[in-house]
Amino acid sequence: MSGANCSAFLEQLDQWMEGERSAAAEAHIRSCAECSDLIADLDSIRDTASSLAATDPEPSERLWSALRVQLEDEGLIHAANPGIADSLERWLRGTFWVQPRPVLAGAYLVALIAVGFALSGSSSLRNDSDLWMSRTQHSTQPLSASLETEEDAISSIADTNPVVTASLRRSLAVIDNNIALCEKSVREEPQNEFARDYLYEAYQQKADLIAQVTEGDEGQ
Amino acid sequence: MSTPSSLSGSLNWKVAGVLVPGLLLMSALPASADKIQRHFKVDARPVVTIHNPNGAITVRAWTKSEVMVVATRATDQVVVDAEQTGNRVDILTRQVSESASPESTRADYEISVPEDAELQIHDDSGGVNVSNVLGDMNVETIAADVDMADVAGYLTVKTVGGSFQCARCAGRLEVSSITGNFRLIDLRSTYVRAQTSEGNILFTGQFLPNSTYRLKNYNGVIEVRFSPEDSFDLSATSLKGKVHNEAKLVPPSHHHLIPHFGNGLFGSYNSGRAMVELSSFDGTINILKRN
Repeated sequence: MSGANCSAFLEQLDQWMEGERSAAAEAHIRSCAECSDLIADLDSIRDTASSLAATDPEPSERLWSALRVQLEDEGLIHAANPGIADSLERWLRGTFWVQPRPVLAGAYLVALIAVGFALSGSSSLRNDSDLWMSRTQHSTQPLSASLETEEDAISSIADTNPVVTASLRRSLAVIDNNIALCEKSVREEPQNEFARDYLYEAYQQKADLIAQVTEGDEGQ
Repeated sequence: MSTPSSLSGSLNWKVAGVLVPGLLLMSALPASADKIQRHFKVDARPVVTIHNPNGAITVRAWTKSEVMVVATRATDQVVVDAEQTGNRVDILTRQVSESASPESTRADYEISVPEDAELQIHDDSGGVNVSNVLGDMNVETIAADVDMADVAGYLTVKTVGGSFQCARCAGRLEVSSITGNFRLIDLRSTYVRAQTSEGNILFTGQFLPNSTYRLKNYNGVIEVRFSPEDSFDLSATSLKGKVHNEAKLVPPSHHHLIPHFGNGLFGSYNSGRAMVELSSFDGTINILKRN
């Protein structure tokens, strides 16, 4: 499937997730592995989100901005055609609107990462190493920025237990180091799926850890 | 339905030999340390939740239809809440003062439960020890190590920096950590998924038919030990590290399905009835014969 068809499908993403499915969109999903995988990921995210309790507000504008920047970097949206970002944003806002803040932090960041990586695979030029590297960098840079901002926010959390604080800090350092190593590998072998998977998981771990710290702080 | 708390310890000269060392040990605690014991009658398959930010938690199965909680507080800077709702017992340690030191907010628990109890345990630091409990378990810690023996059910364990050891565990096991080491000894589990970033994973157990074993880390050593009777399909890949193998494997028939990145090893041992997947980014994978 061409990138244009993917773009057309992604512009209707929120409608698809709400069950409004055109024949063209269904035909596209049957033939496009990337979009099919993305839908599977979003279904999974929605199922997880719907199983959680409801209380509190929406994600920060900073995170929405990060997602929009990422989509722009991917070339999937631009100023004159913000339909995809709007569609995805509407759906994510609807899904995460009712989630409690600590849950939202982790689940939303994981969603952001999942969507970012799913979209990074929507290339019709898979054999081009430069494109792989470029797309990986474009996918991870906004995510990294978002996570670092969240990390800065939690660095001020004063844990009264130094053993716990030391463990959290060491683990964050380990994850950051792993991210750096994985990114280096991806730079060396942009088409290496193994390295890309490890990079993806390292970002997930970081999002989970940040959410865990935030949850622990708010629970006290 | 809960019973009032009471100080434990009825003096008995016959057990003086045991109590004297115990009293000596208690003298090492702060002056305000105390011990509380409570009992809760439960039905089959009770649910027991324990939330203890700082301290040791020891859970053992016994034959009584009762949950017994023995809590030792370091000081009165923490409060121990234990209450029963239906067939559920919730145990919670609450910190009274935010400025209290970690030493003064410690609470240690010794808990006896029916063997079919379901456990939900949260312990940031201290340590978790569970033995002979056959119900499902969910354990989350930050720095606390988790040690299980002779347990079964659906076990999910998540630590940040704590290590995990499981001896003679059965059922289904999912364990994840960031910097913790795992030791999975003499397992009889039908599904194992173990993932740590910077830690070693040791697996010595039976590879049961139609079962799946996935062990993964970023760096460190993954070591599995197999016996001649085992039967499994093996996939072992380390992107930057080495793979050492003592199993005589039959290569897979579909070579095009084998990834071409890193150092990989693929094949069947005996008739390949279990699935074993080992992967590391920068670590060493050892597949060794069991002694």
